[in-house]
Amino acid sequence: MKNLFTRFAAPVLLCTVATGALADNTYTGAPRTFLFNPAQDVCFKDTSQYKKDGPYTIGFSNAGLGDSWRVVAVHSMMKAAAENKDRIAKLIITDAGHDDSKQVADIQDLVSRGVDLLIVSANTAQALDPAVTRVMESGIPVVMVDRRIESDNFVTFVTASDAISGRLFAQWIVEKLGGKGNVVMMGGQAGSSPSEIRMKTAMQVFNQYPDIKIVETVYGDWSPVKAKQVMQSMIQKYGQDIDAVWSAHGLMTPGSIEAFVEAGWADGTIPPHTTADVNGPMQLALKHKVPLLEVGYPPAMAGESIKTALKVLEGAQVPCISEINSQIAVTEGDTTPSIDTRLRIDEMVIANGPADLLVTGGMGPDYDPTTFSIDYPQ
Amino acid sequence: MTVIRTRAQSEFLRRNGSQIIVVGLLVVLAIVGVLVSDRFASVNNIMNILEQSVTLAIVSLGQTLTVLTGGIDLSVGSLISLASVLLSGITNGDPAMVFPAIMIVLALGICVGLLNAAAVIWLKVHPLIVTLGMGAALQGVTLLYTMGPAGKMPLGFDVLAYGRFLGLPVGAVITVALFLGTAFFLRYARFGRYVYAIGDDAVGAQLMGLPRAKVLLFVYAFSGFMAALTAIFLVSRFGVGQPYTGANFTLTSITPVVVGGTLLAGGRGGVIGTLLGVYLVSLLNNVLNYMDISSHYQLIVQGLIVIIAVSVYVEKKRKL
Repeated sequence: MKNLFTRFAAPVLLCTVATGALADNTYTGAPRTFLFNPAQDVCFKDTSQYKKDGPYTIGFSNAGLGDSWRVVAVHSMMKAAAENKDRIAKLIITDAGHDDSKQVADIQDLVSRGVDLLIVSANTAQALDPAVTRVMESGIPVVMVDRRIESDNFVTFVTASDAISGRLFAQWIVEKLGGKGNVVMMGGQAGSSPSEIRMKTAMQVFNQYPDIKIVETVYGDWSPVKAKQVMQSMIQKYGQDIDAVWSAHGLMTPGSIEAFVEAGWADGTIPPHTTADVNGPMQLALKHKVPLLEVGYPPAMAGESIKTALKVLEGAQVPCISEINSQIAVTEGDTTPSIDTRLRIDEMVIANGPADLLVTGGMGPDYDPTTFSIDYPQ
Repeated sequence: MTVIRTRAQSEFLRRNGSQIIVVGLLVVLAIVGVLVSDRFASVNNIMNILEQSVTLAIVSLGQTLTVLTGGIDLSVGSLISLASVLLSGITNGDPAMVFPAIMIVLALGICVGLLNAAAVIWLKVHPLIVTLGMGAALQGVTLLYTMGPAGKMPLGFDVLAYGRFLGLPVGAVITVALFLGTAFFLRYARFGRYVYAIGDDAVGAQLMGLPRAKVLLFVYAFSGFMAALTAIFLVSRFGVGQPYTGANFTLTSITPVVVGGTLLAGGRGGVIGTLLGVYLVSLLNNVLNYMDISSHYQLIVQGLIVIIAVSVYVEKKRKL
């Protein structure tokens, strides 16, 4: 446990670099979700009603920090604000500590402080809905980032596609198992939209295969420590009957892999896992020969939300859902008919880097979250 | 005459000293707020603070009575979570089910409180342990019922959280009425005074023939009822019940009680102090938000205030 904590959870070790760009097989094109969308009509929002002269005061109500993804996301937002100093008078950031009551109060406080636009990463999709809806009704535009609310009462939602992550993870597992086997589903935080959407869309895939059995659905709270505890009890309960682990994000995957290693599974026998963004699970998968699929959920989306916010305040058209690209990578030999990507885990991994390094942060090669400081308008 | 007046004055200070300190702090915070931002004193912001304080106030009202008897109720957080998921789960968007669901969760609150009291009285287990165990059990029941948000409330149920009555937030008006009613009951009803007597000296009260069991049953049932009522207000604010929605209230419900001058040992204090304590906590969070101070510091400041308040009031009791 101590080993796990020091490797993955100690916040002082947080670090990320934009390594994806170094690999030859990295996808750098336009958003695939837009290009591959079969619908002729894609939803766009006219934001002319929100157009006003700058410089602007922008509020960001953050659900909370507490994991390396969210730390990098906030830094990415500060960086974007610093790069747009001429247009942003002030960026006010509040942190609700993953408490719905506090976040509703934070949103009320930000509105009474006179923000021109509010960016919200909702702690839970349903509980924050009434508060965000009321802000929109008062005429202040809301841009959601990373975690949306239940209804569509916002201008746009900046995200990577949770739905695609969920489906790709599930389809890959189905094909790795030849359409038959027992799967443990590990969600993130119950009620948070990335977790719920990924699980829901994964089930759309799994439900098509009657011989795929979801033996249990558990929650790892985006934490390797919690994920390890949960997986230890799953291993106690089902042992060798677990054929694959569907994990909603790479923050939890290392805990699960470590649980198998410590329970005595030999290299090459640990069931296939899914992951996103984080270096540690990639290192562990290569070391213990675990079949691994990575579909990224880049924290750089928080910086994108600032750029989107500026578009809204300038009255430009924005998509109803602003999806940014995810990289898709597998361990060598683990492509399947549907997941036939060129990018390999050993191209993405930073072999000698910290385990909790986020390889999709987009913060540049010199970034270190423990020393990060930037002069943004506040 | 002078002597009498001095005695009267010192008696007033002894009874209300803690409340005077809290009012002083409220004034200081308000001045800081005005200095920090010209928007701080806006009607909108004051209404926000009143709205934000409602749920903490109601759960702390129940907590105050358990502390006055020398006990504590650590099951309120889990009870709030359970009541909230049951309320929205049973209602599930059907307006006809709102009233029955409210009745069910309020009854649940009372039953949980009665069970807590029964264990304290007849099993002779300290309330800290009884309610801690009850809290764990209730959280388990909540998670068996649902792992995520349950059901939903029909349109218009948010009137409790966001409605206005005579220009004031409905919740804030109900809160003040509940506190005044309870203060009146504690001061003027014989049964209310028993609450103090039992907290001050449980053995003495029993020797005098005071109905300790009845008082404890009432106090814990009252706390359970208020926790369920808090859940109703939370569901009104969020539109849905969630399995961990009450988790933070277990400890935060104690903060306003001790800040307001109620001694953890029981027998001294009152609900008006608690209400002032609630406004102090809400105003503090609001001012710190206005000062762009991270919520992590807000937690530290709250923690320090609790420790300082307890140490100040404990010292006061020793001197008496």
